Amino acid sequence: MNTIEADGLTKVYEGIAVVDDLNLRVSGEIYGLLGPNGSGKTTTVNMLTTLVHPTSGTASVCGYDVMRESAAVRRSMSYVPQDMAVDIRLTGWENVELFAKLYGIKDKAERRERIEYVLDIMNLTERAGDMTKKYSGGMRRRLELAQALVHQPNVLFLDEPTVGLDVTSRRSIWEYITKLRGTGMTIFVTTHQMDEAERYCDRVGIIKKGVLLNEGTPAELTSDLDDVIIIRTDSDLPRSLPDGVIPVKSEDGETVFSAKDGSGSLDPLLDAYRADGGKVFSSSVRGPTLEDVYMQAIGPGEEAPFDEDRFRNMMRRR
Amino acid sequence: MYGVLAYAQRDLTRWLRSPMNVISTLVMPAAWLIFMGVVLPGTDKGYLDFITPGVLVMTMLNAGLFGGSSLMFDKVLGYLNKFLAAPTPRESILAGKIIFITVRGLLQALVIQIIAILVGATVLSFWAYLATFAILALFGVFVASFGTTIALYLGNHDSYAAAQSFLSMPLYLASTAMLRYDQMPAALYYIAKANPLSYAIDAARTASAGTFPVPEVLVLILISVIMALLCTRMFRRATIS
Repeated sequence: MNTIEADGLTKVYEGIAVVDDLNLRVSGEIYGLLGPNGSGKTTTVNMLTTLVHPTSGTASVCGYDVMRESAAVRRSMSYVPQDMAVDIRLTGWENVELFAKLYGIKDKAERRERIEYVLDIMNLTERAGDMTKKYSGGMRRRLELAQALVHQPNVLFLDEPTVGLDVTSRRSIWEYITKLRGTGMTIFVTTHQMDEAERYCDRVGIIKKGVLLNEGTPAELTSDLDDVIIIRTDSDLPRSLPDGVIPVKSEDGETVFSAKDGSGSLDPLLDAYRADGGKVFSSSVRGPTLEDVYMQAIGPGEEAPFDEDRFRNMMRRR
Repeated sequence: MYGVLAYAQRDLTRWLRSPMNVISTLVMPAAWLIFMGVVLPGTDKGYLDFITPGVLVMTMLNAGLFGGSSLMFDKVLGYLNKFLAAPTPRESILAGKIIFITVRGLLQALVIQIIAILVGATVLSFWAYLATFAILALFGVFVASFGTTIALYLGNHDSYAAAQSFLSMPLYLASTAMLRYDQMPAALYYIAKANPLSYAIDAARTASAGTFPVPEVLVLILISVIMALLCTRMFRRATIS
């Protein structure tokens, strides 16, 4: 049995399939669901966390069906949504205590011990007595993780865990998440931070318009792609290109090529420019990244409809 | 029940820590009491005693309508999703909210009652006060459910604020808060007879006079239960799709 299983999971809103025939098998790993805004990431998480009823298909978490055994699903998992929702007029301790109570930890001594433990893991012990109004964005996110961990869940669902955080906080959040995976916990994240997904996720799935297009470890997904050569130049494309070097795009004086053997193809490519009398300002070669995989799968950017309510809330809180 | 208390405690703590919110909802009924009861009729003590139950009910009305937006805010700001993902029965979120709004209203009504006594209202027996506050509690459940239902239906704060100001004053003026039935023009009489506020005010008045108002209390119980059920339906609709 996998910790998270989905078979043909589908959600239709007003005739449009927001999530379309999704199949998932996730266990004991950090699984990243990647996709543009409006691709169905949050709806998928909401179905798995019993917040949204699937239109068709089935899903289970820790062996419990999300429709028929939703209470058991909720007992075995935790969910940290995208909106950073900690009560600013409660202390860090009180915020965690509320969730300890909601998870039914009634014994006072046990509750105290658990709260102390999770605050310590998240490095918040010193500030536990402060109103969370005074917490930074990174601390608030860590506090939400502490809330989520207080009942020792088997699965953790995180919707855009690092959105709106600075680089240092992002890194520390991912370090905590990685540590949790080490304890055997299954972690399901949605994100559109490709660099983070590539670095920290064991496996990723790329979703577009509700359809899972690609799935695998970041290494597997990138291994199918060629190296990338980037040339800064003011010249046109050389008349003849070395074998295996394919121009991908050209904009703002930067031309991008793909090639099976990037470093081996660079010199012949530069020679080709010179042969035409072109001038190359700089050149670089890199291996394919998850972002390349993602861009290839998703295609040219399609803007999601603007969510005015969400925007207003973000403005109100910052 | 454990979850219900946890939710109610969360809200009460948050409220008590924001002094502006604590004071702001008291200003209107206090001003009303002092202006209408003390300043306007000169030295007539009878009128202060007459309007005190009305002002207490108004306090509950304002507290209930003000609190109606609370659950909607929890939804909009993302707290609700976290609560819904917890194993506590989901209805306990709503129950906790209604208890919180009602208890907050009762605390405010208590302050108003004390102000009324300080400005010269007749001091009643303990049982009369107990009956009055039981009636206020019932009415509080009704208004809290009513406000929460409308706020969840409208779904955003701006529309709800408009609805709130649109509802609160007319409901108060078209009730027995200021006038007896026999002093009302015919049109107002029928509106006042259909106004839930009138039942709460009449009941509180009868209780102040020393008898327990059985018919009014039965009506209040009935409408509170119906409104709480409607609110539960709305809550389910607004939370799970």
